[in-house]
Amino acid sequence: MKKNERATLLVIIATGISSVAVQLITIREFLAQFHGNEFVISLILFSWLILGGIGTLVAHLITPHYWQPSPSRLCCLSFILTALSAIQIFIIRELRDFFFIHGSSVGFYPTLAYIFFTIAPYCLLVGFVLPYSLFVLRTETPDYSGARIYIADNIGDITGGAFFLFALVFLVTPFEAIFLAGLPLVAASFFLFSLTEKQRKYLKIIPGAAITLLVLATGIFFEPFSLAPSEGELVHYRESRYGRIAVHKDNGQFTLFIDGVPVLSSQNQSIAEETIHYPMAQLNNPQRILLISGEGGIMKELKKYGLKTVDYVELDPDIISVQFKFGLIENIEGLNVINQDGRAFLADSDKIYDAIVLNLPEPDTFQVNRFFTDQFFSLVKKRLAPDGVLSFSMEGYDNYLAEPQRQKLSSLYNTVKNHFKHVLLMPGLKIFFLCQDISIKTDIPARLKEKGINTLYIRGYYYGNLTKERISGLNDLMDPNTPKNSDNSPFLMRLMFSQWFAKFSSSPVGFIAALIVLTFIYLFRIKREEFVLFSTGAMTMGSEILVIFAFQIFYGYIYFQIGIIITVFLAGLLPGALLGDKLREGGKHILVLTDGLLVFMMVILMLALKMGGDRLPSFFFLIFGFMVSLACGFQFPVALHLGGGGNSAVTRSFSADLIGAACGTLITSLVLLPYFGLIWATAGLIVLKLASLIVIGTRNEKYKQKGFSLL
Amino acid sequence: MKNINRRDFLYYSGAFLSTAMFADVCRSFAGDGHVTSGPDDISGKIFKNDAPKTLWKWSHEGFLYSKIENKKVVCGICPNRCILAPGDRSICRSKVNMDGTLYSLAYGNPCAVHNDPVEKKPLFHFRPGSMVFSLAATGCNFRCLNCQNWEISQAKPHEVRHYELFPAEAVETARRLGSESIAYTYSEAITFFEYMIDIARLAKEKGLHNLWISNGYINQGPLLEFCKVLDGANINLKSYSDDIYRKLNGGRLQPVLNTLKTLHEQRIHLEVTTLVVPGYIDDEEMIKKMCGWILDNLGPDYPLHFLRFFPKYKLDRLAPTPVSTLTRFRELAIKEGVRYVYVGNVPNHEGNNTYCHNCSKLLIEREGYFLPVYNLSGNKCKFCGTKIPGVWN
Repeated sequence: MKKNERATLLVIIATGISSVAVQLITIREFLAQFHGNEFVISLILFSWLILGGIGTLVAHLITPHYWQPSPSRLCCLSFILTALSAIQIFIIRELRDFFFIHGSSVGFYPTLAYIFFTIAPYCLLVGFVLPYSLFVLRTETPDYSGARIYIADNIGDITGGAFFLFALVFLVTPFEAIFLAGLPLVAASFFLFSLTEKQRKYLKIIPGAAITLLVLATGIFFEPFSLAPSEGELVHYRESRYGRIAVHKDNGQFTLFIDGVPVLSSQNQSIAEETIHYPMAQLNNPQRILLISGEGGIMKELKKYGLKTVDYVELDPDIISVQFKFGLIENIEGLNVINQDGRAFLADSDKIYDAIVLNLPEPDTFQVNRFFTDQFFSLVKKRLAPDGVLSFSMEGYDNYLAEPQRQKLSSLYNTVKNHFKHVLLMPGLKIFFLCQDISIKTDIPARLKEKGINTLYIRGYYYGNLTKERISGLNDLMDPNTPKNSDNSPFLMRLMFSQWFAKFSSSPVGFIAALIVLTFIYLFRIKREEFVLFSTGAMTMGSEILVIFAFQIFYGYIYFQIGIIITVFLAGLLPGALLGDKLREGGKHILVLTDGLLVFMMVILMLALKMGGDRLPSFFFLIFGFMVSLACGFQFPVALHLGGGGNSAVTRSFSADLIGAACGTLITSLVLLPYFGLIWATAGLIVLKLASLIVIGTRNEKYKQKGFSLL
Repeated sequence: MKNINRRDFLYYSGAFLSTAMFADVCRSFAGDGHVTSGPDDISGKIFKNDAPKTLWKWSHEGFLYSKIENKKVVCGICPNRCILAPGDRSICRSKVNMDGTLYSLAYGNPCAVHNDPVEKKPLFHFRPGSMVFSLAATGCNFRCLNCQNWEISQAKPHEVRHYELFPAEAVETARRLGSESIAYTYSEAITFFEYMIDIARLAKEKGLHNLWISNGYINQGPLLEFCKVLDGANINLKSYSDDIYRKLNGGRLQPVLNTLKTLHEQRIHLEVTTLVVPGYIDDEEMIKKMCGWILDNLGPDYPLHFLRFFPKYKLDRLAPTPVSTLTRFRELAIKEGVRYVYVGNVPNHEGNNTYCHNCSKLLIEREGYFLPVYNLSGNKCKFCGTKIPGVWN
């Protein structure tokens, strides 16, 4: 291998490392700036992949006709790309309050526009650089294999993903992570430039590298300023593996923000009292309580009952330490803090509780939805004493229950009613569900008085805010025909999406219609082998989402294992591509065979999910992920070869893969899973791959050289 | 070392300039204020061609409007003064132009009906401890980002479940429930003015009080007409800055101030509420100016409530108001000369209670909606005999 070639491949690998780390940091940044529901997460991935695909197509259009490829230009692009990574995060963080009103949440279309335009420069350039690198290599070796670029990119992606998921996220802030992930790219570009440029090379390269590093360092320097709140002061900040944790102090009040949302405050008396006393008032002699996540001030209220055991389960250990540090949660006698996924804890534990109290956010992500399903409530029931009570809450309303929320509450009511003889909803700023097998008492102040428990809020406000008429008014509105929410079919998420759209008086119909039209136009213009890559990209991303969703249901949210799943979905690409490059001469038949293999694996997944459920060993998911990515990686060089292997084929193939992945992400997250459930979502991906199998299987070899499009 | 050519010069200059720009942008954003963030005005817009094809049962011709050219009409109820062509719907979503005639679609169809303690409105100086029959139809002429009742205020009449309660039935229901008063509240009662004034006239005849809980964004004409039957009002003075009114509420300040003055001139019992939104309405200077205006134009006797903000509706990424901010504002307003200043949405706060402005003794202790201590004799302080402003039992 020539020195120049080696240096160029190093640039590609380093671009992969940097771009994957930047992608993960960008997703986290958006989640901290916008509402982190599944819609937003999908939009980020979708925009990223689509823009990457467009960047790749642009590379094909403007080089080599308008912009001759050269190593020095590649170096310049790499420096710009590295600098853009820091600028992008800064722009996302700072322009939010420029375009949107400070402190307000943002609806669907503004979020989509903001995501798309803020990441466009970086993503277009990332998409551009990959084929451009190949064009650079082909200036010296005209038949240089496009598959090698794909392989080098995969090496970078795997390294970058693992580096971020298992190291950077634990150790450094976003700008520091960008700095560290960008260093290899600066170094590789420096190396390539020094090899290729003959005259005044150091005069050109040193300022370029220095400016790039300066931009990255500027980001680190300004990071504390960019995080400072407008109200009060930032007294704690940490990027935990699960999200951004910040504590703001304002006039003596501490408020914990997770991903930009105020989740609990040191002065929230009414919520603390309602959370604890509504369920506890139902019990005669409570001794053992389980809390899954917490609210500010709840321990102080629990202390009034003199309990033997309070098990407090919180997924994120960093949140626990912050809660204690700032007095948001008190340390009381009998308190056991458990850092684990709440559902996994319940599944593993054999303890029996008098009350189980959930303090979770609204179920608008797959992760949280697991705590409001038929299967979860069944698990809760097994861990409750015969007269035990389950309590959880949803966002409330003041005077009128709107229709999307009514459906959401009805679905939850019907789901939990399946397991408890009595379920009562208590209206207020939060709506509390009380679930028990004995009848539920609504005269909470009287019950507390009997027990000698004093309160500030309930004593004074309960009778005015929770009149019999208001309680019965809410409970009478529950619709028994609303479908239940289950692990396999997260109906509640559909309703959460409706509620989100209703809040902003918007609808996704226009976006979906535009997307369908554009996808069809694209599909009618691509070649058959590109459709194979498109469908494989869609299937790989779709199956990754399915596997993470299923894994969380069965095993809980276990950061390292989910990190490994994400990594194996990348890891198979490399050996697959190496193998595919060797066997590429097999052409159409190899593609048919691997398509068949992918269909077979998806059928296995579907059967395993249907019949195995939580009995499936965790390594099943790892093997599945590796095999899918192996097949995906394998197909790329074969399809590329089948397409002729020229510059046009390379860019079109990369684009097909990226655009397919974008569509797979969006369709699986927002349509297949919420509307059809786990099993049918898998079936949907099987249908897509079967279509690909038919398309490639019926490809007439005589058209090979003519490059006929799909139709 | 060789000379730098023009191309290199451009390369270096461009690189240095872009770095300097990035650093400068970083610096400028680091200390930027947020009152200037986002759009300056979120006022609502007329809904073109959004009227239903035919009127429904709960329609009533507009109380005050004028007809102009081409069958257009101008609604005269609020300062939005919507000009509606046939088939258009007003900003408040409740009024439509049907072939040159203005109709309200919110008449006899309230979507929220409850019997509440008067303290919940909040009205602390109007027959304490009494119950108020409270109702609302849909609609609002504002677009507040933190609306507590957005499910009905930002909805059209046909989008919600509703009761059928024409004025006579509303008054009858209030009497049956033993309520002393009827409150027009929750959403924005100005948008169902026709319904409200008809109920209020009947209620007055039957000996019930009329209470108006509003943003005060109403024109002088309809307000004066309403004052003929109105007994008490709580006006939400959302801030004392026109910029913030436009940015957070989609309204203007001056018409609200005019309403406060009119209510004062008409001798209507009035209480003023201000929600203290962190980062927007927590500026001491603004509160001082606001108190100054109240004292100059209304006098010291009208109760002023500072309410604690909680994240709600679209303004859900701000922390709740710190209690100490509310305490400080209360002290500040008292120091400025406002005699009765309260703190709301904070249980067990000293600012929930009423103290005599003359002898400073505790007159009414409030534990939520309970009044364990009541030291008024008629409308006078039991201790020093000073007349306490308000409508007492």
